[in-house]
Amino acid sequence: MESIKDQMDLGMMDLNQATFYVGEGGFTGLRYKGEDYKHIVLRRIMPIDQPLHYISVADQENKEICILKAVADLPQDQRDIVERELDSRYYSPEVLDLMSVKDKLGYVYMEMRLRNKQGKEYDKSCAVKDVSRNIRMLSNNSVIIFDVDGNRYVVSDLGALNKQSLRRLDAYLF
Amino acid sequence: MNEKGGTRRGSPREGEEVSQIKEPVPGYMKTAFQANGVAADKLIYAIHTDLTLEGDFSDVYVAVDNTHLHILYGLEEVVKVEGARRIVAQYTTHKAEAYPLIDIGELKTEKLLSTCRLISVVGETSEDNDDTSKDDNARKKLLMIFSLGLMGYVDRLIKVVKNIREGVDPMREVIVEDTLFCPKCATRYPEPDRKLCPKCTDKMSIFFRLLSFFRFYTGKVAAVFVVVLAITGLSILAPYVGTRMFVDEVLSPDGQWYRMVGTIVLFFMGIRLLNTGFEMLQGVVVGKIMPWIIYDLQMRIFEAMQRLSVGFYTSKRTGALMNRVSRDARNIYWFFVDGLPFIIINVATFIGVFIVMLLMEWRLALICISIIPALWLMYRLIMHVYRRYHHKFWVINSQMNNMVSDAVNGQRVIKAFAREGEEANRFANLGSKQVEVDVARNNLGFTAFPAIGMFRFLGQVVVTVVGGMMVINGEISLGMLLVFLSYLQMLAGPINFLATVSNWWARCMDAAQRVFEVVDAHADIVEPENPIHLPEMKGEIAVRDVWFQYDPATPVLKGMSLDVPAGQTLGIVGKTGAGKSTLANLIARLYDVNEGSVHVDGVDVKQLSLTELRTNIGIVSQEIYLFIGSIIENIRYARPEATLEEVIWAAKMASAHDFIVTLPDGYETRVGAGGQELSGGERQRLSIARTIIQNPKILILDEATAAMDTETESKIQTALNKLQTGRTTIAIAHRLSTLKDADMLAVINEGKVVETGTHEDLMRKKGEYHKLYSIQMEGLKVISMD
Repeated sequence: MESIKDQMDLGMMDLNQATFYVGEGGFTGLRYKGEDYKHIVLRRIMPIDQPLHYISVADQENKEICILKAVADLPQDQRDIVERELDSRYYSPEVLDLMSVKDKLGYVYMEMRLRNKQGKEYDKSCAVKDVSRNIRMLSNNSVIIFDVDGNRYVVSDLGALNKQSLRRLDAYLF
Repeated sequence: MNEKGGTRRGSPREGEEVSQIKEPVPGYMKTAFQANGVAADKLIYAIHTDLTLEGDFSDVYVAVDNTHLHILYGLEEVVKVEGARRIVAQYTTHKAEAYPLIDIGELKTEKLLSTCRLISVVGETSEDNDDTSKDDNARKKLLMIFSLGLMGYVDRLIKVVKNIREGVDPMREVIVEDTLFCPKCATRYPEPDRKLCPKCTDKMSIFFRLLSFFRFYTGKVAAVFVVVLAITGLSILAPYVGTRMFVDEVLSPDGQWYRMVGTIVLFFMGIRLLNTGFEMLQGVVVGKIMPWIIYDLQMRIFEAMQRLSVGFYTSKRTGALMNRVSRDARNIYWFFVDGLPFIIINVATFIGVFIVMLLMEWRLALICISIIPALWLMYRLIMHVYRRYHHKFWVINSQMNNMVSDAVNGQRVIKAFAREGEEANRFANLGSKQVEVDVARNNLGFTAFPAIGMFRFLGQVVVTVVGGMMVINGEISLGMLLVFLSYLQMLAGPINFLATVSNWWARCMDAAQRVFEVVDAHADIVEPENPIHLPEMKGEIAVRDVWFQYDPATPVLKGMSLDVPAGQTLGIVGKTGAGKSTLANLIARLYDVNEGSVHVDGVDVKQLSLTELRTNIGIVSQEIYLFIGSIIENIRYARPEATLEEVIWAAKMASAHDFIVTLPDGYETRVGAGGQELSGGERQRLSIARTIIQNPKILILDEATAAMDTETESKIQTALNKLQTGRTTIAIAHRLSTLKDADMLAVINEGKVVETGTHEDLMRKKGEYHKLYSIQMEGLKVISMD
């Protein structure tokens, strides 16, 4: 019997044969091994621990074309394309401040100060249902919040949150 | 022995001490057999059963020596002579029988509804004619009948007889160390597997064992004890200062501190303040210790659970036991936090108040104390009735809840059968019963407790009248009378508390008993002392004449033998309950065989290192369990050091990668309770990926695709086919089409292998496999025609 390592063929991307591009319609495409995939789907295999490593590249039928091991291995222009596509898919603004957290009839209403990937800051109100499922610790130091509309908000460093915000959020962290 | 007879109604007979009961033939049985002309010193093994051949209950002693099986029917009389630990038995024989071993042939048991028969089968029995009912009646003889629960003991007797016949040590593999009866008081254990006598369980020893958990906190516990005593002392002092000193020393012109109202009020407030401070301190210290005690207890339970064998969890009794473990720990917690400190306070208050009263004025003290027993009895009686009503109310209430739940879940059926009215009536009937009980309970509560209050008031009246006379006569001061009345009030609290706390105490000790039972339980499957290590397991499996039963009355495997060469695939076919999954459990040594042996690479699995064996065996079964955690953690469960790339590869092999990457959190998606919900097929593919990561030498596929739809099954089957390459595989499946490609097939029926061969061989043979296959193919044709 072969060992696992002998058998492994993960379909890793051959960088020499891959070119990411943005098509006329604004969709990200990939030219790979002689094929032109005009609209690809990029998915993080480990979105939390390794957001820029192990990116699954699939076609519109969700058939995996290959796996990109590290975004950093790409030339800068293609790297920007991939990162923009990933940011767009995994849109989850950073929570900077929790101005108010109120528990009413099974819903938690939050007023937050957020910052998106482009560095723009804005205020947002949202409602969270079933807090044990929708406010989750990602690691010892980071939290993800899902609101009733399906939006995701991330606190990537609990230590960086101000004391009042931390106190307001603390009751829901398990 | 200390079988049923060995311990029943007091195992130590004729002056034997309890500790000497682990004998294959106990002394009192020897005496009985000796009295019937049997050479008792030659007896090898004896058991005590309970029915005559006519079906009457009797004390039946059954013993075996090298030549005969002896049975005595009679009556055992037990006489206690000295306390509970020294008991003498007298046996009156009604009938004695002896069967030469050479005449009785093979011994077998036959299970009836609630009883069993011991049957001798004379002459050779053919291999495939295992069922005694199919034997020729002329060759069978009914030897005895006994209750189903004694099957285990009779099985041992049969084993001894078999060993004698084979010329090996008669007691080889025969256990004599368990008992159905309490060795102290001879009460039968309510649950045979739980050696717990309701009469003899020493609640104090459980309590002290619980207290042993406090050993790391002795300083704090001592502090709590001192504080509790201080609280009690201050509680007793408060009325003395507030009434006796205030009236006699401050308000009375003859008093020591006449007119010093402010001083005495300050003094009184000081006492109250100190008391409150001590109460807070006690609460804080107890609150700090108890969570750690519960943590210790829960850790002990959890560690014990990891050590125990699968059999422990699958038994009904332990299933219920495990469910209660966390609740039990909570029961213990509340007793120690809310109960024990108050027991100490109340007992100390009661004793302290009584002593102070005696010291102050013994005549009034005796009058006060005289009403206490009556008050105590009244509380006990009323609480007893009140609890009965409360329990009744609770039972009806839960029935009503069940009915509501039934009505909600079964609305479609109710409406389909137009039974709305009847359902409402059923609910109304139960509701009216609940009303009746509630009214009775309320009546009791609203009348009995005021009545007790009235009785207490009468006591106060007597004390007031007698005390008043004493004040008038100048025998005691007014302050003294008032403090007596206050103390009388104070006594009511401890009486009320102590009358009701006994149930709390019993519940806590019961909870502690269950917890310790899990902690003390021994694992059935243990690592051999000197395990054999196989540096490179090949995966050759040999099953040799294996007998196995989950419960004594129903053997599942009856002499099964099989061989699977390394690297080959064996398909196992058979009806539900034929013993297919049991075989898988025995190979992985989740259970141990009763007889026979299972070998891997020529070594008995009982001699192999358990960890090594299990890391080399991968099981993919219909029951999939995903732990709370991420997908990657679940796949890595079998090999935590596996790299991310290995995990991705395993998931790809298991056709799981495609659905995992579409999940928002990819491999970091949380699954298990409270996590992402996955379909049965997705869960199954994760479990296959977990097995691939394990990279086992032996793979057991136990109905791995049984509950899947065709498309999912096809995906999983592809994954499984990839997984099987180069491994010894045992594939168990209902759908025979999935096993066609196996190197060999074994058809199992009633715990035995009835046919072996390849698909083609067995189809040609037109036996059991052909029959099953044809039925399935016919079924498929009908479905496709539909």
